[in-house]
Amino acid sequence: MAGLLGRRLALVVPLLAVILLFTFLLVRISGSDPVGLLAGPTATTEEIALVRASLALDQPVWVQFGVYFGRVLQGDLGQSWLSNRPVLEEILDRAPATIELLFWGVLIGAGIGIPAGLRAAFRPDGGFDQVTRFLSLLGFSVPTYWLGLIMLFVFFYLLGWAPPGMGRIDLFLTPPDRVTGSYLIDGLLAADWEAAGSAFAQLVLPVLCVAIIAAAPIIKQTRAIALEVLASDYIRYARAQGLPDRQIRAMALRNSMTPVVTFIGTEITGLVGTTSLIEYVFAWGGLGQYGLSAIIAGDFAVVQGYVLVLALFSVLVFLVVDVFVLLTEPRAGAAP
Amino acid sequence: MTLLSVEDLHTHFISRDLDNQIRVARALNGVSFTLEAGQVLGLVGETGAGKSLTATSIMGLLRPPARVVGGRALFQGQDLLAMPEAQVNALRGRDIALVVQSPKSSLDPLTRIGNQLIRIHRAHRQVSERAARDRAVEMLASLGIPDPARRMAAWPHELSGGMAQRVLIALALMNEPRLLIADEPTTGLDVTVQAQILDLLRDLVRRTGIGAMVITHDLGVVAHYCDAMAVMYAGAIVESGPVRRVFASPSHPYTANLIGATPERLQLGAARTVGGPPPNLFRLPEGCAYRDRCPRAGADCAQPPPDVALGQGHVARCHRVAA
Repeated sequence: MAGLLGRRLALVVPLLAVILLFTFLLVRISGSDPVGLLAGPTATTEEIALVRASLALDQPVWVQFGVYFGRVLQGDLGQSWLSNRPVLEEILDRAPATIELLFWGVLIGAGIGIPAGLRAAFRPDGGFDQVTRFLSLLGFSVPTYWLGLIMLFVFFYLLGWAPPGMGRIDLFLTPPDRVTGSYLIDGLLAADWEAAGSAFAQLVLPVLCVAIIAAAPIIKQTRAIALEVLASDYIRYARAQGLPDRQIRAMALRNSMTPVVTFIGTEITGLVGTTSLIEYVFAWGGLGQYGLSAIIAGDFAVVQGYVLVLALFSVLVFLVVDVFVLLTEPRAGAAP
Repeated sequence: MTLLSVEDLHTHFISRDLDNQIRVARALNGVSFTLEAGQVLGLVGETGAGKSLTATSIMGLLRPPARVVGGRALFQGQDLLAMPEAQVNALRGRDIALVVQSPKSSLDPLTRIGNQLIRIHRAHRQVSERAARDRAVEMLASLGIPDPARRMAAWPHELSGGMAQRVLIALALMNEPRLLIADEPTTGLDVTVQAQILDLLRDLVRRTGIGAMVITHDLGVVAHYCDAMAVMYAGAIVESGPVRRVFASPSHPYTANLIGATPERLQLGAARTVGGPPPNLFRLPEGCAYRDRCPRAGADCAQPPPDVALGQGHVARCHRVAA
């Protein structure tokens, strides 16, 4: 077990190197020259050459990669030419907002999706199954931004239940002191009930959007996995053993968990993209919105840093999933 | 009292076609047999004849679209097919135990085998965890599993096929069943392990006086290990009786061809191989289901064949057999 864990962790190192190579190439193949942008339209040829040399862009490609690699390892992701601030700083500022949204969204999505999928699988083609199948199809088909807009239209504009989708906390409130970066948790930690309440109210709609988008495939996948488990030899044999229904269901649940968690892991990485659109609609100010703006504005250093951070996030998610599987699955690492 | 008496069991697969027509596959068409305590009954027949289906029908383990549509299965005088599900579930794994042919995939992959043994025991008996554990170790030891206390902690994927089959037998015996149904218990095991497992089963029946039903397509297994046999064809028993009598004088043409088709006899050149595919269960022929393949078929075979008693419990369902 410890050996397996160690090997899995060691795998992260070459993975990171390859990711860095890709983010480096990303800008190289984009074809545009950042030097012109940095030096400005009135720069002389000498100035341009100076900037080029300062960026090591007059060196061969592999030297450039070496420079980039070294900088990244030192935590230097470059500067945003829009804000002139270090990219890493800006990313760290915004990351908690996105993580908060994603965390609650996936947690609620899985909290709805897994039990619903299981229940549907226990009685395939029953009433519950028909309803959840329809709803999950709906969740699949709805465009993300449209869902966000409709939510705002209904719950803010028509019903007035929710605050306007303008950021993570009421505009007239001061955010609580930063501990985790989540206004809700920080507000609770600081016992600032007003801030925490506002942060919570702001969270509800975007989190619901993420949860709905996340739950649809989780329901479908859990149902399919549980159906397969329920049709397996060991469940059939458990029935032949006269085990109580409760135990058989628990057995089915446990045996479905590894593939379901693995699926949710892959889903989370995809949801980051979905979340960016939701962030846009709700003016969330998280990473996704930041990355999208940077892409539109052509802010290379930011795009590069954004992609790098997303890749690191995926690596981390898969690592967590693999560790979970290693810890819960006795067959992990066994010869097939 | 007869341990198990199956009377005129009918099981159908009922499904809807693409054009919404109801299609019925008549998989079991009046299966009848009895099994006494202390006896090993061999149920033989080709693939699709309904051997396993007979077992799952009796145990109430059918899943849709399969459904029992008629008949009785009396276990110690009580009709299993008329009992409420909870009552049958209480019998399953306690009085009626099943051993299946894919032991490795039939064990819960996420539970150590010791805990599976304890689980089945405590599902049916009011015993302490400790007592159940002791019994489980004892059971593994009695099945010839070396170092049983340590084996209790093994995961199913760590077992060999033969070892997994022993664990399955241990599971089946944890609650001292009255009836043991072994569905192809040795398929997929190598020959020496096959013999060990079958010896084990036979000794068990001799020692404890329970009744056992062995489902197999291997006539050698029937000849060596069973007291009585029943030959199935297209969802019905065409011939049954004591193993010696049936082998000595197979009366139904299907049985005769089946026995003649073992490799040794084929080499002797004495056999006629059975031609043609098994009958379509959606459209069984009128009368005898075997008549399309039977070398001795005649016009009268379009009538349902009678059960002809040949003495000493030997019965054949055929027009060509004279009592």
